Amino acid sequence: MPAQFPRVPVALVTGAAQGLGHAIATRLAHDGHLVIVNDKEDSAALTDLATQIGGLALAADVADPEAVTELVSEVAQRFGWVDVLVANHAAMAMAPFLDMAPAPWWEQVEVNLSGTFRLVQAVLPGMRRAGAGRIVLIASEAGVVGMRNATAYSASKGGLIALTKSLGRELAREGIVTNAIAPSYVDTPQLQVDAADAGVSIEDIKAAAAGRIPMGRIATPQEIAAVTAFLVSPGAGSLVGQVLQPNGGTTRTRA
Amino acid sequence: MTERVAVVTGAASGIGAACARALSADGWRVAGLDLNTSATELSRTVDVTDRDAVAAAVDGAQAQWGSVDLLVTAAGYDERIPVAEISKDSWDRMLAVLLGGTVNACAAVLPHMRRQGSGSIVAISSELGLAGSEDNVHYATAKGAVIGFVKALALECAGDGITVNSVAPGPTDTPLLEDGSPWREPDYLATLPLRRLVHPDEIAATVVFLAEEGSFFCGEVLSPNAGAVI
Ligand SMILES: NC(=O)c1ccc[n+]([C@@H]2O[C@H](COP(=O)([O-])OP(=O)(O)OC[C@H]3O[C@@H](n4cnc5c(N)ncnc54)[C@H](O)[C@@H]3O)[C@@H](O)[C@H]2O)c1
Repeated sequence: MPAQFPRVPVALVTGAAQGLGHAIATRLAHDGHLVIVNDKEDSAALTDLATQIGGLALAADVADPEAVTELVSEVAQRFGWVDVLVANHAAMAMAPFLDMAPAPWWEQVEVNLSGTFRLVQAVLPGMRRAGAGRIVLIASEAGVVGMRNATAYSASKGGLIALTKSLGRELAREGIVTNAIAPSYVDTPQLQVDAADAGVSIEDIKAAAAGRIPMGRIATPQEIAAVTAFLVSPGAGSLVGQVLQPNGGTTRTRA
Repeated sequence: MTERVAVVTGAASGIGAACARALSADGWRVAGLDLNTSATELSRTVDVTDRDAVAAAVDGAQAQWGSVDLLVTAAGYDERIPVAEISKDSWDRMLAVLLGGTVNACAAVLPHMRRQGSGSIVAISSELGLAGSEDNVHYATAKGAVIGFVKALALECAGDGITVNSVAPGPTDTPLLEDGSPWREPDYLATLPLRRLVHPDEIAATVVFLAEEGSFFCGEVLSPNAGAVI
């Protein structure tokens, strides 16, 4: 099995102030990565996390191309390059298709899809010089099967899946492998968006989702973080352009 | 902590042997079922098409160690025959080993796992079961059937605390790919995004991940395949 990184790997996890990103950063640090945690804004949650895991907090809005360039050059100055990119950030808004104005519609694509594209572009030269890299894009069940009242979010996540497959094909020969995770319901603050759209409480959303999932529950952030940790581990080097779907059996479709 | 017990079919060679090694290294007790003797703690020579013999071997592991927590089905073989020349016997044997062997092993472990209220099953299928193949349509068909079986069984077991998933290897560097195999040709390898065969330890790592941390995968197919099927 080919060895992976010649140093303690430096991981950049976006959208890490809460929810899934927080869990992923914590897990990667536990597994021996030096983790840079990013979110849109500076917050106590982000700096506390960085302190807890012995990492570094760097706020930047990934939808802003210049901010992405600055973020990655800041990392490059301190640590040379990024070995592992976990693009976990996401914006989500729900409304019936025609009720959502173009601006908020495109904003989600800008953050989720274009922001990720720019992050990959920015980390790639360093990975190339190192001759190794792991990229994990957090997509969504919505990108596989679609989601009512979430056309922009679903389009952005479907785009991430196609981006994953294409980057997998293009970069694997250089030792840089790209995969995606498409979770369904995960117990994170993002469920508030679903709850607001349905006009119910977050607890109601969880119960309703659990009722539809064959395993009878929703995922914990730690379970999805474990999938991420696997994808960046040495043994996962021959998974290329794959979309892993830890969804409790709910998505009856393969990405 | 109680011991974690794994049953691995096809444990004498290639992917099954790599799974057995990786599990042992992680502290699992491993019973190996194969036509040949395997380097496992509890090696049983069994033909997986023999349902009673498979059940006896699984029950033996349970009796010895007190539980059956994981089943990995890696017993299999390939043969390259153009479709018009596949005899009834070749077809039947292929389905009996790949699909029937998987079914027999699942039937043997499930009563124990149900009683425990926990367990996981990882069936080794193949990228050819996802994408098809030529010159071994009986093999590809049987592997596709394993994937269908896994998806159905996963739903049936979802409420029992038992996960059922599949790992679909791409071309993997084991004795299954004999010298001169088309999958070892440089021209073929050059078509793979990763430009190399999969290492059996990489298949084992995926199996161990599913067994130890794949708690929310239900009827999924993970395919470490060097980019052969994306
Ligand atoms: N090597 C690859 O490229 C590749 C790709 C996709 C899938 N697979 C699958 O992975 C599994 C393992 O293959 P491998 O590459 O390790 O091959 P292998 O030939 O090295 O090992 C297969 C093992 O299965 C055993 N076996 C065969 N028939 C049996 C039977 N009836 N009862 C009990 N044991 C039996 C053999 O004795 C052998 O030890 C197979 O199901 C194979 O189809 C392999």
